[in-house]
Amino acid sequence: MRQDMNYMLLAETALLAGEIMLVSGAETYRVEDTAGRILKTSGLERAEAFVVSTGIFVTLSDPQINPISMVRRVGEKNTNLGNISETNEISRRYCSGQISLEEAYRGICEIVDRKRYPEWLRSLCTILSTFFFCIILGGGVMESVLSMINGAFIVFWDNALRRARTKTFLQNVLSSLFIACFSTILAAFSGNRLDSEPMIAGSIMPLLPGVAITNAIRDTLQGDYVSGGGRIIEAFVIALSIAVGIGAGLALGDMMAGGIGI
Amino acid sequence: MSLLVQTVGAFFAVLALSVTIGVPKKYLLYSGVTGAAGWFLYLAMMEAGLREFLAMFLATVVVALASNIFARILKAPVSIYLIPGILPLVPGLGMYRTVYYIINQDNSMAGYYFSNTMQIAGMIALAIFFIDTFFRMVKRK
Repeated sequence: MRQDMNYMLLAETALLAGEIMLVSGAETYRVEDTAGRILKTSGLERAEAFVVSTGIFVTLSDPQINPISMVRRVGEKNTNLGNISETNEISRRYCSGQISLEEAYRGICEIVDRKRYPEWLRSLCTILSTFFFCIILGGGVMESVLSMINGAFIVFWDNALRRARTKTFLQNVLSSLFIACFSTILAAFSGNRLDSEPMIAGSIMPLLPGVAITNAIRDTLQGDYVSGGGRIIEAFVIALSIAVGIGAGLALGDMMAGGIGI
Repeated sequence: MSLLVQTVGAFFAVLALSVTIGVPKKYLLYSGVTGAAGWFLYLAMMEAGLREFLAMFLATVVVALASNIFARILKAPVSIYLIPGILPLVPGLGMYRTVYYIINQDNSMAGYYFSNTMQIAGMIALAIFFIDTFFRMVKRK
């Protein structure tokens, strides 16, 4: 037990660090580990962190202080791997005594509003990635270039739905609907000289649940079955939303191409 | 030639997606290399006539191995390399074909591609399990 420590600030720091990591797409066991280590520096009898994929609970208690418990509900994810490694780094420096608690708290606060890459660059990279994914899935140059329009659909819906409540789901359905519909019509217009398959499959790659799958596997391996199971469902829901969008888009594209009479 | 184009394509595809998921600048090159290596191995093994799920398993093993090694050398979480690295291997094509055949009312083909997609996802999971467990054992000693 350390008399000079501000326990409220300590709990808040652990909570904030955990929140940033969880929102940014860290594995649950890593979040729990980081928050737990920060709390343990108090030297109190009980210092625990409990994390599930949608929330964080921290508690500090000792016969000599009033117990502190805090809960933070974590909603929509926003993958940012840089935030994870930076929060990790600050917590490591704090736990090894290189920086004070106040410095650690301020450092973590700064991560929240830092933009790693400008918005236009992220949009450009989404569009470029559809070009390259179309190539590696067997598309020709013409198909890959046209795929970049599909990438633009993803960027458009990402921006248009910024404030929507179920953003990920809606974005996936609408983006993949536009992608499938547009690619089918293009293929029909070209008299089937363009192949719609690499265009569609390549363009949905940025939407696929790679982060959810990876974290589901690693959480389950750590014995964290609640979070692991939750993330498996998350991965399935994402995959399902893309599948629904593609299905609707394919049907719609066929109808429209047929309707114009090509 | 096609193998080279595909590998370079995978490198840039992973690089571009790494930027969108916020991989810091100093690690970008490594995540790109990890992804390209995985895709190259997958293609090379497919050309050598290996079964698809085996090729997928071995490619993911290499991606997970490289991610763990980079993580230890460069002192950054494994996820920074692992998540971008497996992106080309995530079965988007299988998922698309499943939906395509459902829409075209070919249930046997849809079922085939569905189980194929699930198998590939399972292989990726198994490979990550395998390498993670290995590195945890090494760490404990």
